Amino acid sequence: MHDQELIGRVLAGDPSAERALYDAHVDRVFRLVYRMAGDLDRAQDYTQETFIRAFGRLGEFRGEAALSTWLGSIAISITLNGLRKVKRSREREVVLDDSLAIGRITPEAEPDLKDRLAQAIDDLPDGYRVVFVMHDVEGYTHEEIASSLGVHPGTSKAQLFRARARLRESLADFVKE
Amino acid sequence: MLDDRFDDQMRDSAREYNTPPPTPKEEMWAAIQAKKTEESRTVITPLRPLRHLRPLRWPAAIAALLALGIGLGRLSAPPPAPVAPVRVASDTLPRTSDVAYRVATTEHLGQSEAFLTLFRASVRRGGNEQLASATARQLLATNRLLLDSPAASDARTRLLLQDLELVLAEIAQLSPRPSSPDLDLITEGLERGGVMSRLRTAVPSGASTTQGVL
Repeated sequence: MHDQELIGRVLAGDPSAERALYDAHVDRVFRLVYRMAGDLDRAQDYTQETFIRAFGRLGEFRGEAALSTWLGSIAISITLNGLRKVKRSREREVVLDDSLAIGRITPEAEPDLKDRLAQAIDDLPDGYRVVFVMHDVEGYTHEEIASSLGVHPGTSKAQLFRARARLRESLADFVKE
Repeated sequence: MLDDRFDDQMRDSAREYNTPPPTPKEEMWAAIQAKKTEESRTVITPLRPLRHLRPLRWPAAIAALLALGIGLGRLSAPPPAPVAPVRVASDTLPRTSDVAYRVATTEHLGQSEAFLTLFRASVRRGGNEQLASATARQLLATNRLLLDSPAASDARTRLLLQDLELVLAEIAQLSPRPSSPDLDLITEGLERGGVMSRLRTAVPSGASTTQGVL
């Protein structure tokens, strides 16, 4: 069934249409949110919040972009806000964690490329990370990313270029090997 | 060349970044429905207390109507004619506030007299004057209030209050263990200015004086 028809039925108060809309888009939303959050509980929370907000604001959806893109923009906004809160609370705990971690890292414990890359992606600024995850990890096009983030496709490309450069820098010792 | 190979390797590895598990569709759907139900309840809740006010609707409406009628009546009524002030005989009678000040002054002077009598007797016996200092401070505060009030409009009373202030201030400033010369100076001052005799004259006999001092 076409998205526009589903939206019309949801707005008319048809609960089965709401479920159909959810079924059609939940996998894509959940995947993106999980990639960004890296935690099942948080990914579930943010995905649920995305659909609750989307159902509440469905009347505002103009159909200028695809529904999936609109949902993606809500999901990213909720996820980034949620992760910022988590980051702030973690920063408060970091002093204690740092003191406990001193001396633990040994040459034998050096993580492999996947782990190092995961850490490097985590450390990217939000703007770079979103574009990198959407494009290189989840396979979104620059047009979809730009529409979701409300930026020009050129900006999305530039952000991706910088994100990759930053990752290359972080993993420089692997490049030499 | 090396960079291109590394980029390919990096992209391959990136696909495993935070690999998502199968989507917990049903679990999330149930949570969404529960939250929606909860939110819809929250929206209705504030309306409930209004139901309790239903029995008051008619009385409230009548009261509002009456208030409106009275307001309109006052607005539309002609302005009242100016009324000439009526002179009453109160000018010739002492005002209530004057009487109150006189009573307060008499009471204060009586308390001061009682205090100073006891103080002088205590000094003669060589007693402890620590308590005297605290009492003098209380009396001094009242004395200053009376000096700033209409009670001091009478010249004789003002003069007495001023002399009394000096004596009370000296006692209030006494150290915990005052020396004999200090105490002698105060008692001499009491005698010299005739403060005690003037106090006795100012206080009518039979007035309750010691209450509140001791």
